[in-house]
Amino acid sequence: MPPVIDSEKCEKCGGCVDVCPEDVYFGSRKKELPSVSYPEECSHCNACVEECPVQGAVTIRIPLPMMLLYRPEGNHSGAT
Amino acid sequence: MENEHIKTDVLCIGGGIGGLMAAIRARELGAEVAVAEKGNIKRSGRGGGGCDHFLCYIPEVHGSDMDAYIEEMMKTQQRRNFMGLSKERLRTHIRNTYDIVKLWDSWGIPMKPRGEYYFAGHAFPGGFRTLLKYAGRHQKPILAKKAREAGAKIRNRVMIFDLVLDRDGNIGGAVGLDVRSGELVTFEAKAVILGTGYMSRLYQHITPGWMSNNAWRFSLTGDGRLMAYRAGAELMDLDFMRLHNGPRYLARFGQATWVGVYRDPDGKPIGPFVSKPEVLYGDATPEADKLIFKKYHDAGKGPCYMDGNGLSEEDHQEMIYWLEHEGNDPLLKHMAEDGIDFRKHPIEVTSYNQGCLGKVATDEEGRTTLDGLFAIGDEVGSGVSNASVYGWMCGESAVKIAKQKAFSGTFELGDESKKRVDILSKMRTRNGYGPQWREANIALQQIMSDFAGYLRSDEIMKAGLFHLRRLRKKALETMVAQNPHELVRSLEVMNLLDFGELVFISGLDRKETRDTHVRTDYAITDPRLNNKAHIIKMVDGRPVTDWRPI
Repeated sequence: MPPVIDSEKCEKCGGCVDVCPEDVYFGSRKKELPSVSYPEECSHCNACVEECPVQGAVTIRIPLPMMLLYRPEGNHSGAT
Repeated sequence: MENEHIKTDVLCIGGGIGGLMAAIRARELGAEVAVAEKGNIKRSGRGGGGCDHFLCYIPEVHGSDMDAYIEEMMKTQQRRNFMGLSKERLRTHIRNTYDIVKLWDSWGIPMKPRGEYYFAGHAFPGGFRTLLKYAGRHQKPILAKKAREAGAKIRNRVMIFDLVLDRDGNIGGAVGLDVRSGELVTFEAKAVILGTGYMSRLYQHITPGWMSNNAWRFSLTGDGRLMAYRAGAELMDLDFMRLHNGPRYLARFGQATWVGVYRDPDGKPIGPFVSKPEVLYGDATPEADKLIFKKYHDAGKGPCYMDGNGLSEEDHQEMIYWLEHEGNDPLLKHMAEDGIDFRKHPIEVTSYNQGCLGKVATDEEGRTTLDGLFAIGDEVGSGVSNASVYGWMCGESAVKIAKQKAFSGTFELGDESKKRVDILSKMRTRNGYGPQWREANIALQQIMSDFAGYLRSDEIMKAGLFHLRRLRKKALETMVAQNPHELVRSLEVMNLLDFGELVFISGLDRKETRDTHVRTDYAITDPRLNNKAHIIKMVDGRPVTDWRPI
């Protein structure tokens, strides 16, 4: 569920908790690992990723119902 | 009152692009300013993820005839973004765009990242291009810093749910709920600027089972429209739907940032505008018909694709650069992880139903029908250019009002606000197995999509209105909230339920077919209603509709 926190990398600065417009981290405590309390309310806006000082400590995972649909190569019926 | 109470000259409700611009300008002119923001001004609002295009008229680029620019702009999707607004309103907006662009550039938002002003996208070959490409991914953090430096008092994490009127019925402030503590926060102000943004979650979206799939933001629920309505201001044109287009199933902005051709399954271009990727224009097909992909789908002629075959490496890199500024990092990461290469893999596209186009009625200076109350941004039009220009202007006008006015000396919540506070307290203390906000929201979306959707009639809408009122009664009597966060979501749903009711009442009153308001019982478009705004406002506690020339 989005977002995903890497507990090894997270420095517990609280930046993601502070910035999230949807407050999906509601209930997180200062200087502790952020808890993603309302993951299904994530707007996948990337604010937490941008705010995080450590590359990869927080990532946005796109949920399966939102996977991008595309047409595989070699499956064209026309002149695309 | 023991709760936190903030006294200020000007209150900006919503710290998006419009609210921050208003706050910065009002501070510059010497007023005390507070910004009440549901999230955090650093990344909140529809512009929080960034943007890559800005409506801007530059005489040296577009020629001296500003009306010709407006005419060209209104051939594109701006026609629907600014539906129901007067010619003078459009002129006032466009006339001021270049000044704001220069200002933003001086503040560190790169408005000409290539060294010169560059216009592209949302355009038809042959016409001139109305949208300035800019590097806006950090626009919100920059504006937020600017507002703090200007001395605006920023109150993050408070959801305003009602305006407060003074004894004479004039604007006196607002009341909200701290989204973390659940405590009431009140604001006493001489002038109020509403900029709460877009309304999502009213209709089912392209993934009904996954509600939060919208770059237009999950937490934006049109709160300002309801506050304005309850305070007695006019709303308008609730009969029409807000539409957009983009990738399926990952709903994002950037319809015109993609550089390719919209094609049917046989590879045939869907529109007549381009037959190969054109960086300067994009493919304006969905600008001409916002429902074109839905029509293909419903007729069994889909899927429809955005096809980037033939795009050069250089142009592809540039498109990605703009997609990043348009807030599409998560989408690009998803594509990379799944091995989706835009130049080899056409992306499926679909029509998004973005809810209701209804807005707060304002004049060409952003004033609502209530003295001292302004509405800006998505509550009136759409887009960063509109929000920033009107934020700036209304910030200025609000200071003029504040300077002529004294605080009334009394500050008391109205009866409706007190009722709301009582309902909130019951939601927190109710024991048992009552529904949570999400249940009520899903039920509302079903009713809106099925009974106030693409096909309407007296019978359909009357049935829908009955269902909605029954749902609202049950929801208000039984909903439970475990904590302040859920309480805020419940407050949002209460606003959406109220707004849904107004959509039905307004829709029943428009006895014609126009735009997305397609009635099976009134098939013709009534020419007598051309250039008229459909007003709805509260009189003696009841909704009343009216028509007014635009």
